[in-house]
Amino acid sequence: MTRVLVPLLLAAVLATALLGGAWAPHSPTSPVGTPWQGPGPGHLLGTDALGRDVWSRVLAGGGRLLAVSVLAAVCASVTGTAAGLLAGWFGGLPSRTLTAGADLLLALPSLLLALVAAIALPWHAAVVVATVCGGAPLTLRVVRDAVRASRSSGYVEAALLRGETAASVLVREVLPAMRGLVAADLGLRLVVALQIASALSVLGLGAAPPAPDWALMLRENMTGVALNPWAVAAPAVALGATTVLLALLAQLFFHEGRTRRSRSRRPARKETTGV
Amino acid sequence: MSVPATAPAAVLPRRRGAAAGPSLLSALARSVLLLALVSVVVFTATELLPGDAAELRASPGADEEQLRLLREDLGLDAPAWQRYADWLRALLIGDPGTSMVNGRPVADALAQRLPATLGLVAGALLVSLPLALALAWWAGNARGGRGGPTSVLTGGAALPTVVVASGLAAVLSGGLGLVPPVSLLPPGSAPWQTPELLVLPVLSLALPTALFGGGLLAGAVADTVRLPHVADSRRRGNAPWRVALVDVLPFLLAPFTRVAAVTAGGLVAAATVVETLFSYPGVGSLLVSSIASRDLPVVQATALAAAAVVLAGLLVGDLVAALTEPRRRQAP
Repeated sequence: MTRVLVPLLLAAVLATALLGGAWAPHSPTSPVGTPWQGPGPGHLLGTDALGRDVWSRVLAGGGRLLAVSVLAAVCASVTGTAAGLLAGWFGGLPSRTLTAGADLLLALPSLLLALVAAIALPWHAAVVVATVCGGAPLTLRVVRDAVRASRSSGYVEAALLRGETAASVLVREVLPAMRGLVAADLGLRLVVALQIASALSVLGLGAAPPAPDWALMLRENMTGVALNPWAVAAPAVALGATTVLLALLAQLFFHEGRTRRSRSRRPARKETTGV
Repeated sequence: MSVPATAPAAVLPRRRGAAAGPSLLSALARSVLLLALVSVVVFTATELLPGDAAELRASPGADEEQLRLLREDLGLDAPAWQRYADWLRALLIGDPGTSMVNGRPVADALAQRLPATLGLVAGALLVSLPLALALAWWAGNARGGRGGPTSVLTGGAALPTVVVASGLAAVLSGGLGLVPPVSLLPPGSAPWQTPELLVLPVLSLALPTALFGGGLLAGAVADTVRLPHVADSRRRGNAPWRVALVDVLPFLLAPFTRVAAVTAGGLVAAATVVETLFSYPGVGSLLVSSIASRDLPVVQATALAAAAVVLAGLLVGDLVAALTEPRRRQAP
């Protein structure tokens, strides 16, 4: 059941976040009533500190956050996958160098990297840099191990015997075979990117105040949490649901990939040892 | 917490070679190398900013000539590598300069705020580590694939810190009125003198960390409970708590230490969000406010101090793990 429910819910949340601004009943940036009104007719979730409609701001507040996070996650995934393909295929010195560099980057929390990057770079660039530095090393490990295991599989050996080059085998045989793994990993990078983007946003280093932004709304409306709790609860649920559903979907993908692979590979297991 | 839900391979014990000595040396070398790298990155980041200290300090309407003289005065006309070396030398003798905003020595500001952050992180570790072990025990025993517990840990660890923090604030402070919504420490007081102010920040840090750490440890628990001596102990009729403490826990020490070290680093980073959200006067909120006001000497020193704390935690983790690991190797 979760296999149907999680993707459906996630699709609904993502669609609302990306297109929601167009459906907003009121302007998300200008006051439409008295501050801290509770939910009522005309204002589904009440109003915030400046009397703006909370529902409209929630609908419009996820687009930028998501767009930046998707960009950052794709950058991290592409970098990590490329490095993982190289490390897994060639092994030896390239693998050791890449892995050592990845280990170094992993030692620092990515939020700290994001803060340092935010000194000099604009918000979206800082999110991208931190997600790549903190996420690509993890992708590298996952992809490297999968490539290493597939080197001795039948379809790769057959392609090599046909005389195909390493590059063409990697792109046309190895990469398509592990698309599920890469997709699941991309989901996890997206979770981290959202965490970093929302953290920077809360810290005031992201979207500028009048703009609607889930993370910023949480901070702005904290003072009135007793007057209109929905002003805090709604953006918290939106942001939380997005990250949790993404992580669950990624877990689902990983799990299916693992069972499928171990089922198909069990007979040839002892060959897959390259160090 | 950042870095969620994924990297057991990166965090959990690698099978080490024979001696612990070389691995400790390399851990130390890694820490020093990383700290040096961070110092270069921090310095470069502050270099990339448009404008410099001379423009900030000069009286309004100063002309180019006055700016040039001021730069000479402040040593800003020297090449970048030389200024980096000067900055590093000053840091090593414990003089990170003065704030460009209020002229106070940076060392004073750091010394004043460090206890608050260390108290916060220590409190969060005290809450999260036992909780992480309990969660790992729960998920590790219930495994067998994508069980409910594993999903709870994965999903929970994915929650951004700010969502957890505002959720807790809405319930504990907004709904129940148990604790104050802001954690402004009275000036000159230590954090443990007003424990009610620590509740929200500590829980906001501890809960995601516990879920994350629990997820990382669940695999180790699942592996350990499958060892023959554990099944044996269960068959002998030992109570579950006895199995957990005597037969399983010793095998978890090494992975637990590594997870603790990694989560401690994550806590230092997440403290920036939590401290800012609850107006808690610690190093994290100092870093954030100095980035916002472009107070470069404070940014440089604070970022480096935070990185040093993170790396020191990892080093201690490596050390303790190396000390506890031989026992693990003797086991079947």
